[in-house]
Amino acid sequence: MGMPPTPYTPDPRRSQAWIPFNTRSEQPIVTGTSVLALTYKDGIMLAGDNLASYGSLACSAPRLSVTIPSYTIFGASGNMSDFQYLQHDLDNLIIQEEVTAQDGHQLGPKQIHKYLSQVFYARRSKMDSLWKSVLGGGFKDGKRFLLFVDLLSVTYTVLTLATCYGVYIAQPLLRKAFEGSEVRKIKEDWLHVLFYRDPRSTNQYQITTISAAGPTISPSLKLETEWSFAESIRGYGPQTQ
Amino acid sequence: MSQIWKYVRVTPSGGRVRGVPARSSTTSISLPGTPDHLSSQSTLILRFVMSIMEHNGGSVVAMAGKNCVAIACDLRLGAGAQTIATNFEKIFPVTDRMYLGLAGLASDVVTLREKFRYLTNMFLIKESRPLEPSTFAHLVSSTLYERRFGPYFCEPVLAGLERTPSGSYKPYIVGTDLIGCLNFAKDFIVTGTASDKLFGVAEGLWEPDLEPEDLFETISQTLMNAVDRDAYSGWGAVVHVITPDKVITRTLKGRMD
Amino acid sequence: MPNMSAIVHPQQRHFNPYAENGGTILAIAGADFTVIAGDTRQSEGYSIQTRYAPKVFRLTDRAVLAVNGFAADGNMFVKKVKQRLEWYKHAHAKDMPLRAIARLIQTMLYAQRFFPYYVYNILGGIEEDGSGAVYSFDPVGSYEREACRAAGAAQSLVQPFLDNQIYFKNQTAAPGRSHPSHLPLPDVLSIVVDSFTSATERHIEVGDGLEIYIVLAKGRSLQGVEGLHGLRELSTQEDGERVFVLQRDLKKD
Repeated sequence: MGMPPTPYTPDPRRSQAWIPFNTRSEQPIVTGTSVLALTYKDGIMLAGDNLASYGSLACSAPRLSVTIPSYTIFGASGNMSDFQYLQHDLDNLIIQEEVTAQDGHQLGPKQIHKYLSQVFYARRSKMDSLWKSVLGGGFKDGKRFLLFVDLLSVTYTVLTLATCYGVYIAQPLLRKAFEGSEVRKIKEDWLHVLFYRDPRSTNQYQITTISAAGPTISPSLKLETEWSFAESIRGYGPQTQ
Repeated sequence: MSQIWKYVRVTPSGGRVRGVPARSSTTSISLPGTPDHLSSQSTLILRFVMSIMEHNGGSVVAMAGKNCVAIACDLRLGAGAQTIATNFEKIFPVTDRMYLGLAGLASDVVTLREKFRYLTNMFLIKESRPLEPSTFAHLVSSTLYERRFGPYFCEPVLAGLERTPSGSYKPYIVGTDLIGCLNFAKDFIVTGTASDKLFGVAEGLWEPDLEPEDLFETISQTLMNAVDRDAYSGWGAVVHVITPDKVITRTLKGRMD
Repeated sequence: MPNMSAIVHPQQRHFNPYAENGGTILAIAGADFTVIAGDTRQSEGYSIQTRYAPKVFRLTDRAVLAVNGFAADGNMFVKKVKQRLEWYKHAHAKDMPLRAIARLIQTMLYAQRFFPYYVYNILGGIEEDGSGAVYSFDPVGSYEREACRAAGAAQSLVQPFLDNQIYFKNQTAAPGRSHPSHLPLPDVLSIVVDSFTSATERHIEVGDGLEIYIVLAKGRSLQGVEGLHGLRELSTQEDGERVFVLQRDLKKD
């Protein structure tokens, strides 16, 4: 926050010095905001909006993905190019494992989590981090699994997860509500709140789930929003009384 | 000189806006990472900043017991890492049943001691009634808050026995920060350069309703073991145990390293 | 006088490859056992990331390693130590002795002298002579064998308490008697639990859960642990040293 991400253009003030490639990821450029993740009785559900921001310039891009053979779903916030790079990398990994190896072993969500943490750790140790946080969910052998990895390769698993603004706005309430049956409703409620409060979010979103039945990913959905209450809010913005 | 790492915000105009304390002041290997909330208009840099609160060193702890309270301090006076004196008491009597401990910048310790002596005498002359700890606590608080934007670098601890309407006495301990925010505790109050160590040991040793001799042992063990792990406190201690009919004062020998 | 050089040349903002993930670890050696414990909270700033992220790991049947500091470095370091111990086992058909693991850890830490693992390690276990041992390390490999050590966010709260309760510092024995050089296991366990409940009470980065590993010397009876609720054995052999883990709740606020 605070500093808008700037595109990596030659800076005349710094043109004297040669800038090494491995300082390029010192800031994110095209960014995605909050992703929410929730463990429910059948599996894992992820939700995120479809917005990629270039500073204050908005464009649409999916931020959730599914890797079918590995029983894993993902969402990412942070640098979108790093997310797309990671999708590629995982595709290659899975092709390697499924097609080349053909040893009857399949990578499950736990293996993918470990793999991601190693990739992220290697990059942060080169001072060239993948400038983002990844949430993922998996379901294999009757077990559900929710994972988190961030740019420093700090990893953990919990029952509910959120990134960016979601950490402060959605996560505390996700924790309270996670065992309820209406998980999709809960998700949509918190996407609403985030859309109202996060200036870098949009009302178009996707939801992806994974359960014993396999992964699903929704088409782009739209939140029905209601702004009339804004009239009655006092104490912010230009109105005086 | 006593110095710690701090983030200092530097603006293009060259003005120092404010200091943001580093998350860990003692980590020698952490790289100078900066918090997220800085804007491109200013830069946070990591540099040594002298800390006034730690300059002279010293610690105070107070504990409540059954019908008694205890308050204890170390005896060191330093200038940064150098020890200047080993007889610097930081606890002063206010009334027969109330003692005030002052840890922080030594000159402010002396100034406040005199200021509170004056204020106590004025109260007794004007009001012609005993000064109770609860009254004095608010006097301390308001005196410190008067200097809200240029504070005394002192964190006082008060320990005393409060007279109840029935005529008995009940333990009363209170601490404040350097601008007078009162902290009433039922168990113990700690302050000074060894405060985190004091918290740890006191939390482990203290129990409710200690008799005066047990309270003396508890507060002494707490203070001694805490200051032995603190470079800025130590060199002996003074302990006062206040009971309704007497005050027991003992001087303890401590490690001298 | 402000530092003018810093104002004239504002420093470039740099990527910080480290974080501080809170938590506290502690180990105490007995005559023929060692207790190694850590809380399970992982946090960053004021946010709790998870209430269960283990910081204490069984390496062999006689060695347990506790890591505290930057979680990503800690996990990577434990992974690498375990890998080296596996190689050793394949090469020598036995587990590496504790003092050798300690030296291995110092070498591995010092190898990263100029980009350190930001991790405080405490290694506990049983020496080849059957005695309980604790080795504590700084992030760049300086190490020492001790009887007890606390590290991490609440080190300053716990260590002086251990000085008092384990080393009997500032305590004088009754005339004609002396302090024990090693405490019995039940006493050590209650000191460990007390240390963590105290640290949880007064430090925001400590809490949620407590994992206590107990390593018993070869041939030692279960005296002192047999009745403990929720005790789980992790040892791979019954006739050697034995490792147990105990889980306890800590306050979650």
